[in-house]
Amino acid sequence: MKVLKTAMAAAALVAAANVLAQQPNPMDNVPDKMPNDIPYGMPISLDKAQAAINAAIAESKKRGWKLNVAMVDSGANLVAFARMDGAQIGSIAISEHKARAAAKYRRETKAFEAGVQSGNNYLLTLDDVIASRGGIPIVVGGHLIGAIGCSGGTGSQDEVVCKAGADAVK
Amino acid sequence: MKTRPMLTLDDCKKISAAAEAEAKKNNWNVAIAILDDGGHLLHLVRMDGASPFNARTAIAKGRTAAESRRSSQVWEDRIKAGRVSMLGMPGITPVQGGLPIVVDNVCVGGIGASGVQSHEDEQIVAAGIKALG
Repeated sequence: MKVLKTAMAAAALVAAANVLAQQPNPMDNVPDKMPNDIPYGMPISLDKAQAAINAAIAESKKRGWKLNVAMVDSGANLVAFARMDGAQIGSIAISEHKARAAAKYRRETKAFEAGVQSGNNYLLTLDDVIASRGGIPIVVGGHLIGAIGCSGGTGSQDEVVCKAGADAVK
Repeated sequence: MKTRPMLTLDDCKKISAAAEAEAKKNNWNVAIAILDDGGHLLHLVRMDGASPFNARTAIAKGRTAAESRRSSQVWEDRIKAGRVSMLGMPGITPVQGGLPIVVDNVCVGGIGASGVQSHEDEQIVAAGIKALG
């Protein structure tokens, strides 16, 4: 009986391997063009960075939320930061991390969140990634000049405020 | 229950704007950081031309002042006087340019600047604190 069970298990394994072999691995796909091919531009000015942060804070205030807002330049270095009264201190570093990752990877941090959600867990092994929405690159005239990051609420709340900030300087 | 004063974002904006004005007046490009009494960042500006290093150092000086509740220069002076073991104090950046923000005899935070000579950095943060009244 035991021998039979082992044989059946082995047969099932072989069958599973065959199914895997038949499905193409989407990771093997080689696109012609570079993804997110946005050139890094001049670093964002302090005036512009503060305009974005002020717009984000205004949106957050309007909704009665308390968030941290960080702005980095095209080299992913911190330019300006503001913590609203009563905002969660754990989110200070997260807001900067989101901005930094959006600048370094030239895409919204939402892309990482979506990737992980769809099962691409390898994304979490990439350097300095944060898989949570609320980090948006600032692209002006086709060049990336910086990125804004918000944290302190749910990811969806962070994103709404982040967008308001980014839209103010785009 | 004991109550104590606390910096608001409006306070930080006022302090930071005054410090920035002092820097601008002298044509200095610096970073200015304000932290709460727990050493957590409240507000930061890096003026155009100031380096990423300046931003990091302004935070470090401000945190030193906020957490130790004394000027970061005090630490520098102690080491200069020969107390080399102070170099090993945890989380301390012993360089002039960070001051505690004291309200009603309570340290509510710290402010740090970096970008010019250390005594000039201190001149900038002192101007910021003065704006608090």
